[in-house]
Amino acid sequence: MTKTMTPIDCVAQVEQHFVPIVTELERVRDEVAALFEAGPVTTASLRERLEPGSLEFLRNPNLIGGGFVVAPGVLSDRRLYLVWWQGEERDFLGEADAPGTGEAIDYTRQPWYRSPERTGELTLVGPYVDFVCTDEYVMTTTMPVYAGGRMVGVAGADTLVETLETMLLPGLREAGATLVNGHGKAIVSADPQLATGAPLTTARDMIPCRGLPLSVALG
Amino acid sequence: MVKTKFMKFLCAFEQIRTDLGAESSRSIHYDFGVRVMTSRARAAIFAPIGDEGRAARVENRLAEAIRSGVLAHGERLPSEPELAQMLGVATVTAREALVALRAKGLVVTTRGRGGGSFVRAPESGDLVEDRLASMSRVELRDRATVYLVVLTGCAEIAAERTDPDEVEDLRDLLIPLNVSDVARWRSADSELYLSVAALTQSARMTREVVRQEADFGALLRIPLNEPGFREATATRHQELVEALAAGDAVRARESVREHVAHSLERLAEIHEAVRR
Repeated sequence: MTKTMTPIDCVAQVEQHFVPIVTELERVRDEVAALFEAGPVTTASLRERLEPGSLEFLRNPNLIGGGFVVAPGVLSDRRLYLVWWQGEERDFLGEADAPGTGEAIDYTRQPWYRSPERTGELTLVGPYVDFVCTDEYVMTTTMPVYAGGRMVGVAGADTLVETLETMLLPGLREAGATLVNGHGKAIVSADPQLATGAPLTTARDMIPCRGLPLSVALG
Repeated sequence: MVKTKFMKFLCAFEQIRTDLGAESSRSIHYDFGVRVMTSRARAAIFAPIGDEGRAARVENRLAEAIRSGVLAHGERLPSEPELAQMLGVATVTAREALVALRAKGLVVTTRGRGGGSFVRAPESGDLVEDRLASMSRVELRDRATVYLVVLTGCAEIAAERTDPDEVEDLRDLLIPLNVSDVARWRSADSELYLSVAALTQSARMTREVVRQEADFGALLRIPLNEPGFREATATRHQELVEALAAGDAVRARESVREHVAHSLERLAEIHEAVRR
């Protein structure tokens, strides 16, 4: 790095990571919508349709997982299903069982599912510990998918908070800035005392990231 | 004894009758479920009501009664024509429901003299009780201590780090007392404590709780098949959520401590009964 990073450069770096995610979710959304418009969808047909494109996208090592999660009852052979690949080996998830009970976890209560369901818009949840899919501290980007006048599920992708730290902290340090989420909580900060997940306590100037509920706070 | 058993059947079936006759009241009972599954619930409401839908309802009701232990393992179900008459559905509908229950392994049918359909309790419950039976008192206390320390610690830290909107999500995990599906109580109980663990913002802590829930949580949730225990549990769930909402670490910790202590008290009695 020859020149010193400015807050604007930090914003560009954040967008460089998240904007391609949004583009990918739009692609998945269109694929899934087309599949549902064509007739009844099964776990197998959905996975078959999404696998090549999703695995190609997940070659990006800065992502920990991604795919599509169905709304309850839209598949002809399973109520809840996660067409989701994650981890270094990009293992296929399928369904998530609750520990102890062995019952499938009803993920429809999770903010990454509910929020896009309620708002109809792109959502960025986190930082939070995800115990349904990755069991990691992540940021989840999700987008609702509609077909035949109803929501058939959400397309999504996970980024480890650690990945964001590795990617963004050097620049944020130089700029003396903090990346904050839509609720004003720190994600990565130049200030070592400002823990991830902690709210910013003082009012600061913020530069919003394009099309994302993220900002870079100065000072 | 015979009378009690018959009454139990009547209660279970009376509920099915009510459900089949009065769809609208059902949505009130399951308000919680409807809210989180709006699109599915809507689809169900506007689906044509034929005998096909009725078979699924009969099936669901019986499955719930079996899972919750209202219909006990080994009990003989009435014959198809009797069942159909009790429920006010066609014999073919009752048969269809039984076929589905058989496929789920919740009912076993034997042929010939003395044959019929019998309730088969889900296996996971058996396994949990078998595990309990194989444990010494020392091991039970040993595991309970680890569980207690981990979970109370989570509640304390979560109370310090939780936002109002995150607490709202927790409220949705609270189950109305009139729900009698034990499996639902158990999964909601587990999910509540997992969610609290996640609110510590620590992935390692959450993974530890996942391990604890699978290891010991399943045992602590055995008594949830008792209505009185469910009531006490619901009160403490409420207390815990309120403490988190208020950011009160001491109260959050205390509520989990009481929950584990009370569960363990009841579990020790069950343990004694199965070991004797």
